[in-house]
Order: sequence, then C-alpha cells, then structure tokens
Amino acid sequence: MSTDTLTDADLDISHLTDRPWITLVWDDPVNQMSYVVYVFVKIFSFSQERAHELMMQVHNEGRAVVANGSREEMERAVQSLHEHGLWATLQRDDVA
Amino acid sequence: MSEFVRDGDIYSLDLTLDEAQILINVVEQLLELLGEGSFNHHYDESDPFAQLMAQLTAAPDEIVTPEDPVLLRLLPNAYADPEAASDFRRYTEPTLRGKKERALLEVRQALEIIVDENRDGVVADLDCDTWLMAINDLRIAFSVRLEITPDSFDLFESLPDTDPQKAIFAVYFWLGWLQTSLLNAISR
Repeated sequence: MSTDTLTDADLDISHLTDRPWITLVWDDPVNQMSYVVYVFVKIFSFSQERAHELMMQVHNEGRAVVANGSREEMERAVQSLHEHGLWATLQRDDVA
Repeated sequence: MSEFVRDGDIYSLDLTLDEAQILINVVEQLLELLGEGSFNHHYDESDPFAQLMAQLTAAPDEIVTPEDPVLLRLLPNAYADPEAASDFRRYTEPTLRGKKERALLEVRQALEIIVDENRDGVVADLDCDTWLMAINDLRIAFSVRLEITPDSFDLFESLPDTDPQKAIFAVYFWLGWLQTSLLNAISR
C-alpha cells in the first residue's frame, strides 16, 4: 500500500473505537474435546450444541471466533480462557 | 483405576497411595516451575502462600514473556502484536499465575493427607473446578515436555515397557483419563 498521500480514510479513526473485537480460540493437540465444550459452556453460557459446534470448528479449521464485543470484554474472555488452559487471543474484527 | 464419584453436589476421588504419590510429585514440580524455582515443597503448610504472595507482588516491570515453553503455553500471549501482548501480560499475568498456583496448592494439600498417612485414601468433598483446572494444567505441562501430537498415543503403545519414556507418557494419558472421569461425573 502506498503511503504517499493521506486520504480521508486514513484520517478516519472511528474504527479504533467502533469496530468490535473478537476472541479466537486456537486448536492444540492436548485439550480434550469434552473439556473444551465444558469450558465454553462455563465461560460463555453457550448451549451444549453451540459449544460443541464451536469446539468442532476449532478442531477442524484450526481456530474459531468464540466471542465478540468491546476490547475490555474480549480481554476478560481471553483471560478466562487462559485460566482454563485454552489457547486464546483477541484482535480487532477487521484483521481476521 | 480410580474414578471421580459424585453424590448430589459432593465430589470425591479414591486414590491408591501410588496414584497419590505420582500426582503430588507432578503437582509440586509444576508449582516449582510456576514459581520459577522459588517454591520449596518442604515448607510448612502455611509457607507456600507466602511464596505465592511473593509472586503476586512482583514488580510489573519484571513480567516478561516466559522463555520456558511450558510457561509460555500456560501463560500465553493474548495478542499477536508483541507490544500489546507485553502490555496485557504486565497487568494480567500475576492474576493468571496466582489462580493456577492456588488450584495446584489446593490439590497438593488434599493429596498430602493421603501421602502422609502412607496408605490408599479418599479426597472427599473436592472442588471440581479447582481439580479440572489443576489436572488440565498438568496435562498441558506434560504435553509440551513430551511434544504431544495426535499420534502420541500410538507411539506410547508401541514403546517397550523398558523404555523410560513409557512411564512418563503413561502419567500423561492417565491425567487425561482422570479429567474425563471428572467431566463425566459433572455431567451425570
């Protein structure tokens, strides 16, 4: 991308506050499927079906978006996932 | 093999002395790693908490991304961006580390009773979230050291009984079995 000219889009910083953030959970060969489902239900209050669906997405695709919201909310979610030993990161939605 | 048992809201685990000894050893090893060598498992009951406090009050400037791969997996980066990850770690890692240590210390305390009595025993009225967290962190620690992959169980089964690695793999898979047993008890 050229950086020669600043455009209005470059100066628009609304995305810094308005864009939602997402929490990603990454696959690993260690955490057991039943444990991952248990953690998703516990942390996010998902139904068993939704938790299972997301767990399978992590398993098959290598990662899944499990939550979105404000940066603070996603930081709390990631912290909670780390407490339970899941490999999670957060990022701005438009980077995914 | 021992299983978790649920009676209403009360969970318990019968353990043989051998199982309790294996478990307390790996719990103490992980505590030592989390305490970066400062945890002494020969302390009196009250002293591990003094060590724990020392961790929690460490100056924020000293908190950096762990070099040990086990610690990096247990206390992972929350952001792909190194600067954001570093900032987040500075403010949150002591809490995360403290929670993991507290779970392991609680499990250790329960196991110590069995080990000190030097015979098979029962862990009565255990907190299942604490035990799930501790067992999972132990599995993760083992998995990093053993470089576990989806093919590891086949490798384990093919190892001769004389291979010293076999016993270590056996503990790892036993921890997985224990975790499944507790999850089954919870969902029953």
